[in-house]
Amino acid sequence: MTSIAVSVNHVTFGFGRREVLKDLSLDIPAGTAFGLLGPNGAGKTTLIRLLVGLLRPKSGDIHIMGQLISRKKSPFIGYMPQLQSLYGELTVLQNVDFFAHIYRLHDNAKRAQQVEKALKLVDLWGRRDDAVQNLSGGMKQRTSLACAIVHSPPLLFLDEPTVGLDPELRASFWEFFSSLTKQGTTLVISSHTMDDAAHCDRLGFIRDGKVIAEGTPDELRLATGSPRASLEDAFLYFVRRGKETPDD
Amino acid sequence: MTDAVWTIAKRVITQIRRDHRTLAMILVVPLVVMTLIGLSFPDLKVLDYIAPALLAALAFFFGFLLTGISFLRERSQGTMERLTVSPVTRLDIVVGYLFGFFVFALIQTLIILFYTIYVFDITYRGQLWEILVFQVAVIIGAVNLGIFISSFARNEFQMVQFIPLVILPQMFMGGLLWPVEQMPDYLQWFAHILPLTYAVDGMREIMLTGKGLPDVWVDLAVLAGFAVLTSVLAALTLRKGPGG
Ligand SMILES: Nc1ncnc2c1ncn2[C@@H]1O[C@H](COP(=O)(O)OP(=O)(O)OP(=O)(O)O)[C@@H](O)[C@H]1O
Ligand SMILES: [Mg+2]
Repeated sequence: MTSIAVSVNHVTFGFGRREVLKDLSLDIPAGTAFGLLGPNGAGKTTLIRLLVGLLRPKSGDIHIMGQLISRKKSPFIGYMPQLQSLYGELTVLQNVDFFAHIYRLHDNAKRAQQVEKALKLVDLWGRRDDAVQNLSGGMKQRTSLACAIVHSPPLLFLDEPTVGLDPELRASFWEFFSSLTKQGTTLVISSHTMDDAAHCDRLGFIRDGKVIAEGTPDELRLATGSPRASLEDAFLYFVRRGKETPDD
Repeated sequence: MTDAVWTIAKRVITQIRRDHRTLAMILVVPLVVMTLIGLSFPDLKVLDYIAPALLAALAFFFGFLLTGISFLRERSQGTMERLTVSPVTRLDIVVGYLFGFFVFALIQTLIILFYTIYVFDITYRGQLWEILVFQVAVIIGAVNLGIFISSFARNEFQMVQFIPLVILPQMFMGGLLWPVEQMPDYLQWFAHILPLTYAVDGMREIMLTGKGLPDVWVDLAVLAGFAVLTSVLAALTLRKGPGG
């Protein structure tokens, strides 16, 4: 039996008057790469910010590893925000080392080892002494990922980690992500590209703050009724179906 | 002091140290300001009298400015979001920043103090170390106030608007230019809630009448209380990142 890493139950959230998430429910099994797919403004970032505890739901609740979210869980969570949230003046190494410290890797030898491992995984070991502000966009993106994974959290929330990456790096990122899930790490990844979607174990299609469909990529494609359908077709299929049967 | 506090303080210091232009300005601006102010006094006797209040006010001003702007940047660049998600507590963050910024605010204060004492050669009473300890209390309050106030600003432009709001009333009502007792009664109570009033009063007591720290304990206690209050308030308002 697979356990549930993240469970979202009837969550509603809004900024002021604007309802952003509407009665959203979702279960994310442990040890899977779960893709949150949806267009701009669908509510992916908002959902992730709720999951990491930056925002609080207006109603409904969120369980992380079987418990209501609380600060106690923070050491087990890695978070890569959509914005490259880094210290521009500091070097790549200083940024990653700072977050390693913050996530309580106090032992110097152990920390140095973890930092090196993270930097090698994102292929920035050779640029470790460059100031982050002098890096290219994709390199900043990779530094940001290294900061999120340096403490080897069992639960990782990545908000559009592959944006701005070249195809080669994108492929190597996905290789790395699947090696993580093999070790039991749960990944929650937002994206709008169907290329990313195909790599995920499970997908949630999100539109206008609702989950319009959820399942494995194959299940979602086959649900359209045509075996040749792409994930893009599947997304459009569920969007249209949602419009035919309005539920609010 | 927890490990997180030290880590954050060290990072703040490294960050400013690596930004050479900012570092140079932190060191040069107080010198330029003090030179201009000092030279503008026709009579050095007047400077003797005004110096204690001026030292307190400049320490407060520079400490507030440095922190308010840098802390805001932390939020707008999104790194604060990462910190609040991590296991560090809000108080760790505030105290970490306090220590980090304190180093630079202290350097600025020392520059102004020694420059005034040795280059402008003012006559003062009181012990130098007591003046220093008192100034430390002033800076801690100012740095904390900067952290606290910056959580009400969403961008640099708004933060800049807070500077005159926080600084100018204190300059005019804090006893810097004329004694608080000469202001209308209804404004005196207001002067007594301004930290600069106590900073100016304490510095005058020490430098003009030669009193010691035990004699200005009320001023010190108020400044310490102010520092604690602002750091707690700063920790409570911390999560107000952009859009959160
Ligand atoms: N701080 C905020 N204040 C007000 N509204 C916000 C705020 N942040 C997001 N929103 C609104 O919430 C909705 C969902 O935004 P969100 O950032 O979650 O979308 P997203 O799915 O991540 O989009 P993208 O693919 O562009 O990243 C949008 O309509 C957006 O305008
Ligand atoms: Mg987003």
